[in-house]
Amino acid sequence: MKFRFEGREIQTNAGDTYASALYRAGQRIFSRSFKYHRPRGLLCVAGKCPNCLMNVDAVPNIRTCITPVRDGAEVRAQNAKPSLERDWLSISQHFDWLMPVGWYYKTFKSPVVWHAVEPFIRRVAGLGELRPGPKREYEHSWMHTHTAVIGGGYAGLEAALKASERGERVVLIDDQPELGGQARYHRSLPTELIARVRSQSSIQVLLGSTCFGLYEGNLLGIVQFNPHPNARERLIHLRAHHVVVAAGAYETPLLFPNNDLPGAMLSTAVLRLLHVHGVVAGKRTVIVGTGKRAEEVADELRSNGAEVVSVVSPADGITATGSGKVSGLRTLENSLACDLIVMCGPLVPDSGLAVQAGARLIWSEVHGVFLPSDLPPQISVVGDAAGDTLAPVTRSVAEHKRSFVCLCSDVTSKDVCAGIAEGFDHIETLKRYTTATMGPCQGSMCQLSTIGICAHQAQRSMGETGVTTSRPPNPSVTIGALAGSRHHPIRHTPMHYAHEALGAVWMDMGDWKRPRQYRLSIEDEYRAVREGVGIIDVSTLGKLDLRGRDAGKLLDMVYTHRFSDLRPGRVRYALMCDEGGTILDDGTISRLAGDRYFITTTTGNLDFVHQWLEWYLIGTGWDVTITNVTAGYGSINVAGPKAREVLQKLTDCDLATSAFPYMACREADVCGVAAIMLRIGFVGETGWELHLPAESAEAVWNNLLDAGKELGIQAFGVEAQRLLRLEKRHVIVGVDTDALSGPFESGMAWAAKLEKDDFVGKVALTEASASPARESLVGFMVTGVGVPEDGSAVVVDGKLAGRVTSCRYSPAKKTAIGLAWVPVDSAEEGARIQVRIHGKLADAKVTMEAFYDPEGARLRQ
Amino acid sequence: MSFLVRCPNCGDRSVYEFRFGGEVKQRPPLDAPGEEWLSYRYDRVNAAGVQKEWWFHRSGCRQWLQASRNTVTNEVFETWLPGKERA
Repeated sequence: MKFRFEGREIQTNAGDTYASALYRAGQRIFSRSFKYHRPRGLLCVAGKCPNCLMNVDAVPNIRTCITPVRDGAEVRAQNAKPSLERDWLSISQHFDWLMPVGWYYKTFKSPVVWHAVEPFIRRVAGLGELRPGPKREYEHSWMHTHTAVIGGGYAGLEAALKASERGERVVLIDDQPELGGQARYHRSLPTELIARVRSQSSIQVLLGSTCFGLYEGNLLGIVQFNPHPNARERLIHLRAHHVVVAAGAYETPLLFPNNDLPGAMLSTAVLRLLHVHGVVAGKRTVIVGTGKRAEEVADELRSNGAEVVSVVSPADGITATGSGKVSGLRTLENSLACDLIVMCGPLVPDSGLAVQAGARLIWSEVHGVFLPSDLPPQISVVGDAAGDTLAPVTRSVAEHKRSFVCLCSDVTSKDVCAGIAEGFDHIETLKRYTTATMGPCQGSMCQLSTIGICAHQAQRSMGETGVTTSRPPNPSVTIGALAGSRHHPIRHTPMHYAHEALGAVWMDMGDWKRPRQYRLSIEDEYRAVREGVGIIDVSTLGKLDLRGRDAGKLLDMVYTHRFSDLRPGRVRYALMCDEGGTILDDGTISRLAGDRYFITTTTGNLDFVHQWLEWYLIGTGWDVTITNVTAGYGSINVAGPKAREVLQKLTDCDLATSAFPYMACREADVCGVAAIMLRIGFVGETGWELHLPAESAEAVWNNLLDAGKELGIQAFGVEAQRLLRLEKRHVIVGVDTDALSGPFESGMAWAAKLEKDDFVGKVALTEASASPARESLVGFMVTGVGVPEDGSAVVVDGKLAGRVTSCRYSPAKKTAIGLAWVPVDSAEEGARIQVRIHGKLADAKVTMEAFYDPEGARLRQ
Repeated sequence: MSFLVRCPNCGDRSVYEFRFGGEVKQRPPLDAPGEEWLSYRYDRVNAAGVQKEWWFHRSGCRQWLQASRNTVTNEVFETWLPGKERA
């Protein structure tokens, strides 16, 4: 396999990561630092530090040291111009005296200054940038298990086996491509243990998967990389009864001047490169450390052909030297030439997940680290994550302007000391002031050093100084993984494809697709309904079937009107308010039989209305069953002076007004299909709303179009319907009303039956009926030209006084008409108001009746 | 927020399957003083501790249920389907 890096072709070996292949190919500088653009090389080779972040296949900030190579990938450096080797902005490190700790807070106090320099700072500082690249898929999955084990090292393998032996289902998660943990680079791979884990069917192993957070209810957030060829990342939501944190310990750098030079590498990183990738990290090496770890890494390097110049103690007053990369190490006595400095730094238990679950971190002098304690039940920490085998490492404060504490945002030990001297001696304020521990590594590399310096300078113990808070996500997660796939549910009505064939222009209404209009102009659709006949798909209306002896009682309780006295075969307008008297929803209720009602709700409020009805039913003991039948019916409104003529061709039901008057309902066959027929008139013409079994709705729709062909039948869309209803001054709840509108001010006082014994909103509406409203919803007609947009301002006597909720050009009135909220003083026939049209005021006059057929004669014909 | 709610019908489920329905309260009688009605409509106890609340299992059995939950720790102690007793 091979990939391209900055235009160069890089060959890889089996098991390579981008970083290991680049290192083998001689690359030493992997990134440029955030602030000073200092060269940075491989440090941890464990995905813990910010030094190897690169742009891979157009995705920024990829930890190349743990990302397996994809054949043909395109890898680019970040934050370096023109190249990693020659980054002209590295000059900025010589101006460090201009950028002391707290520089932002001290310098950019004035918004003017900040706005002037922000674009420049954004360009030169920071991490990678997003570039357009190939489309990538992210996905989510959900898993449940009894025991989740984080970490596939020795302790994790043991814990997984133990749980499995107890009969539990186990998920074992490790961010590496193979099991074994640190044994993979210590020549002690527990092959037998791994084989046993692999052979257990009750243990599911997730490799190359990073656990970034432990949330409430033992929910683990896990990112699995490249779960299959069509997905880049999969976010797994894993619920576990028991979580075992066996994430081990990771090594952190030592503090000394120029400790950030490429070539200064952690001992575990050197061993990983050697044993996992077969790369000897240097030719002439100096090891900084004491004890067994220093000896082990020295032996390993020697036996692989590297020269170990010396093993020195971190307390020897060391300074790394070199320009662009390590060329030597100076101690108090000596100057040693070398190309690799191996740091045997403090090992820090990776117990962040336990802390996120509520554990506390307590300083242990014996182990030289903070250890998790007070674990919540269902969480355990085992192995190095619990600090079992850890020992303290000699550390120094090394106050120096090139001794880097935080590699993510270039905070030096001098900066941290300065912050403390300025009074930020509490670890949490010190963190915020210096930004140490706040970069992409989330404090992995710098937390212990920062606490160490803080404790030393403030003359407190490590325990007293304490730790900063660990929060998810750690490590960082791509927004793509959190967002998941781009699937958006879409609902089609049963006539969807018939609309498509008619050239529908679609609009979204919640999840639904509805035809906004068809091929003709909106005015042509309008004319068909007013002068001939039109049909519209109203399947998106919410539909509820109510049955039972007490159905009427329930409706009387939750709707403002009375329904228990509605005669079978009749329809009534239905208005629903809350206890505060605010309108929640409207629709129609038809009584199909003594114990059977059919409710329609607005498209968006179906679920709410259903839940509202169910809620009020609880505890009553009433005999009512509510069924949501929305998807079971396709619905068509046939309207216009010739509607009867068309529909009569398809049904034996007598449609004459004498037999089927306005606001009546019947159950009858249409085209041989059992239909619920409501004679209602939202658009203001003779019309029927047909509710048909969904599977037959498209056939009936097409039959209607055929039957009406010679009469010029026209399918009309939502936009024509809105114009038609506006001429009738019919209100759309949620468009013309809002969260403060009640029935009185909305001109629907007739729908509130205050004399009923009890109903939701009775107390508030009774109160409202006694005190005049401040505003009123009225109709208005523009007397000049122009059509105000929905939402335009209403002006009375030169003052802002209200707002337009709906407005359209009315072909009937030959001017703009609309609905508007106006002060109650203006709510009278002929009152003069002004509305804003494209920034200019236009005169309009208020009208209290419908713009079209105010007597409603056409509806009843 | 990612705690579990034990639906009496469906068992332990993620809280995201539910709609929160507010504190369990007693609707005042119609002739109660206006103050009491105002309080019923608009006031919340907002207890920092255990309270009884309504939940609707939207992505499950689509039933209303009541729960006693500690609002500080999100520990759900008990859930039940309300019978005659709404509050």
